[in-house]
Amino acid sequence: MEHVRRSRTAAHALGRRRALTTPVAAGALVRLLTEHLSADLRDLWTDADTVEFTIDGARALDVLTTLRDDDDFAFFMLADAAAVDYGPNEHFEVVYHLFSWKHPAWLRVRARVDRAEPRLPTITGLWEGAMFHEREMYDMMGIVFDGNRDLRRIYMSPDYRSFPHRKDFVLPDDAADSAAAGVNPLERPETWDLTRFRDAPGVTFAASELREDAPAEAVEDGETLADQSRPR
Amino acid sequence: MLPVATGDGGPPIIIPDQGAGDALLQPFDMEEHPQGGFHGLLEVIPTKADYVLDLIRANSLWPLLSGLSCCAIEMMSTATSVNDIDRFGMFPFRASPRQADVLIVAGTLTTKMAGPLVRLWEQMPEPKWVVAMGTCTTSGGRFKRSYSVVQGVDRVMPVDVYVPGCPPRPEGLIYGMMKLHELVKQRRGQWSTYVDRGPQRTRWEGDVR
Amino acid sequence: MTTIDRDTRIPDPIELDRAEEERLRAAAGLGPVRTERGEYAGFDQVGIPDRPPQTEREREVYSLDEGEMLVNMGPQHPSTHGVMRLVVKVRGEIIVDIDPVLGYLHRGIEKLCENATYTTVLTYVDPMDYLSTMHNEHAPAIAFEKLYGIEPPRRAEYIRALVVELNRIFSHGLMMGFLALDMGGLTPILYAFINRDEIVDMLSAISGQRMLFNFFRVGGVNFDTNDEFLSRLGTWRSRVMKNIEMNEHMITDNEIFRARTIGMGTLTGQEAISLGVTGPNLRASGVPFDVRRAHPYSIYRELEFDVITQESGDSYARYLQRIAEIKQSIHLIDQIIDRMPHGPVQAQVPGIIRPKPGRAYAAVESPRGLYSVYSISDGGPNPYRFRMRDPSFISLQAVPKVMPGKLVADTMAVMASFDPVMGGVDK
Repeated sequence: MEHVRRSRTAAHALGRRRALTTPVAAGALVRLLTEHLSADLRDLWTDADTVEFTIDGARALDVLTTLRDDDDFAFFMLADAAAVDYGPNEHFEVVYHLFSWKHPAWLRVRARVDRAEPRLPTITGLWEGAMFHEREMYDMMGIVFDGNRDLRRIYMSPDYRSFPHRKDFVLPDDAADSAAAGVNPLERPETWDLTRFRDAPGVTFAASELREDAPAEAVEDGETLADQSRPR
Repeated sequence: MLPVATGDGGPPIIIPDQGAGDALLQPFDMEEHPQGGFHGLLEVIPTKADYVLDLIRANSLWPLLSGLSCCAIEMMSTATSVNDIDRFGMFPFRASPRQADVLIVAGTLTTKMAGPLVRLWEQMPEPKWVVAMGTCTTSGGRFKRSYSVVQGVDRVMPVDVYVPGCPPRPEGLIYGMMKLHELVKQRRGQWSTYVDRGPQRTRWEGDVR
Repeated sequence: MTTIDRDTRIPDPIELDRAEEERLRAAAGLGPVRTERGEYAGFDQVGIPDRPPQTEREREVYSLDEGEMLVNMGPQHPSTHGVMRLVVKVRGEIIVDIDPVLGYLHRGIEKLCENATYTTVLTYVDPMDYLSTMHNEHAPAIAFEKLYGIEPPRRAEYIRALVVELNRIFSHGLMMGFLALDMGGLTPILYAFINRDEIVDMLSAISGQRMLFNFFRVGGVNFDTNDEFLSRLGTWRSRVMKNIEMNEHMITDNEIFRARTIGMGTLTGQEAISLGVTGPNLRASGVPFDVRRAHPYSIYRELEFDVITQESGDSYARYLQRIAEIKQSIHLIDQIIDRMPHGPVQAQVPGIIRPKPGRAYAAVESPRGLYSVYSISDGGPNPYRFRMRDPSFISLQAVPKVMPGKLVADTMAVMASFDPVMGGVDK
């Protein structure tokens, strides 16, 4: 395996840094961004391997079109589109991650979306693969993408009423206590018809051995609950 | 036509003969017929024939090919060459529930999948058994607080064997199947308490099939 | 050659029925059956929702033209990808449109991760793409290390790369088995599972688990290599090339396999990029994008491997691509074993880490494509937002794009060539 040996010093020098590029290459991207998109940038920030900026939601489509079609940028690949909820009284954010051969750093575009009117133009015209991303963002966060031809729920059933990734949708310590418990009748024992289990032909034990189902948890006066694993 | 024993006022037991005519064409209820179905003591005392029948059933349980998630891969690993459940007769994983004996629920059951899975179980003819494989089907497992996971498949169908593990090792699943064989031979499965009263599934609004 | 003139040919049954129905309706004084083409069909057919269509695309899919029919390849089907439902609109045997219905395995992992500590998150992500567990853990581990500002020790990075490549090998091997199984070949899956069992026994020696390994930690890996692992690794390595070649020869030159995969599901590079397809599927369409090369992470900058592409972009190319990648992974494992340094395998981090507020994005090359994690920290013990981008989820959009015009029987074969894993698709 001689041909794969590298010098020890080079390996050491390469391995310790997490930085992807020398600052010059990332600087080129920052310079291009400030030149072409300065009107839209709200907030530009760089990390070792990521360049990130914030824009308004309404400008998202134009900015992404520029980033994809402009020859200097050439961000041909949409790596990820995610939605973030900053709190019950805060805004949403749709975060796009883009990749280009010309700029080795990841580009993160954070589009700020209003919580009261969460609408954003769709980018399915730029990348067809954004369709499932946008459907998921609608399903989980409730952000509506104008112009999307197929904006319906993708993970939850079509009659589901909540948006699970919002911060006001809280997972409780016990799933049985959540607001989502019992939406589905399969999780509500009172809707089950258990009489069908009581009599059957071909049963090989005497009917006297059949027991009633245990009664519901009603605590009589003077008695304590058997299950103290959580307060009821 | 020579009716033989008539029993206690039931329909005549007819030995098919030349010229039986349309006596054979009269409808009769299989349940009432003395020669059909078990009655009385025959239900309770297992006969040699029952024992052999149970042995046959145990050694030829055909699972339904319904793997939901990660446990399905371990179920497939149990079914393939290294840990082989073909030696227990469970080689054919049937695609159709009509031909399957045991439903191995392998993987997390979500609220969206619960409907189709219960429908699959209802389509299986009796005798049928259910093996809850993995902790997700036993109790919700690592998704205990999730908003979309059914906390244990026994919320929606009667389960005979629970195989814990995440995922259970193939040896664990085989041990579960051995326990199931015991249940089958002793007729202790949950299916015997089930009566099919026709389609009576709960349907809820927006139920998408 | 005898000619059959129009009056004596056997009429199409559909035409016979239609003619009969028209005649009867005319005799009864009713109008013709259909006045409008493609009207939205109601509830009385399988697979159509009993509510008005919510979107344009839904209306497009669920409206039936002449001779079209909806067939539900339901959440339970003999193909082994997991619970996915395809509503397929067919005309005879030819597919007109496909609507995938997902969510039958949606477990709410992202939401659960917001209530879990960073180390617990690494256990929650295991069952996502359950055939590539190590990759599922690798991306969050890198993201959390970026947030926390640490680097894992060198030996830990090498062990990570080793187990990640082992995972890639058995995942690709399983894809080959599943591809043959979905076409009815029952033998290659047995060989694929034998391969998997060998590797998985090895990985269980190092991590304690056969499948959902829970091996990565923030700052390194959990256990160092031990004697059993190294012994199994050596045994495996001495046999693997021959095994892979044997498995490969069983299928690659098989006439039926070639007839069913060559030219099927062709995806051009431009289409693939637009659809967001990544990984071996993208490289099989000719685009040399590999995250390990495009945006190197871990020690991949030091290791030597080729980014292989295929030209045709059909199912056969995707299959060949994975075989080539298995061989590349074996080459990578050789290099890793060759130069693994000594040292600790886990950095000293507290049990519950509280990174400074910030954002981090980490992408790895999983056997299905670009698997990435975007995580936001608010300074507390739990991640504020934990987002996973799964490659199979996005690659699934290629199926409604390539299938129209093909036969129904090719659906599962083409789907298997994209190798989706529903745990990752539904999260």
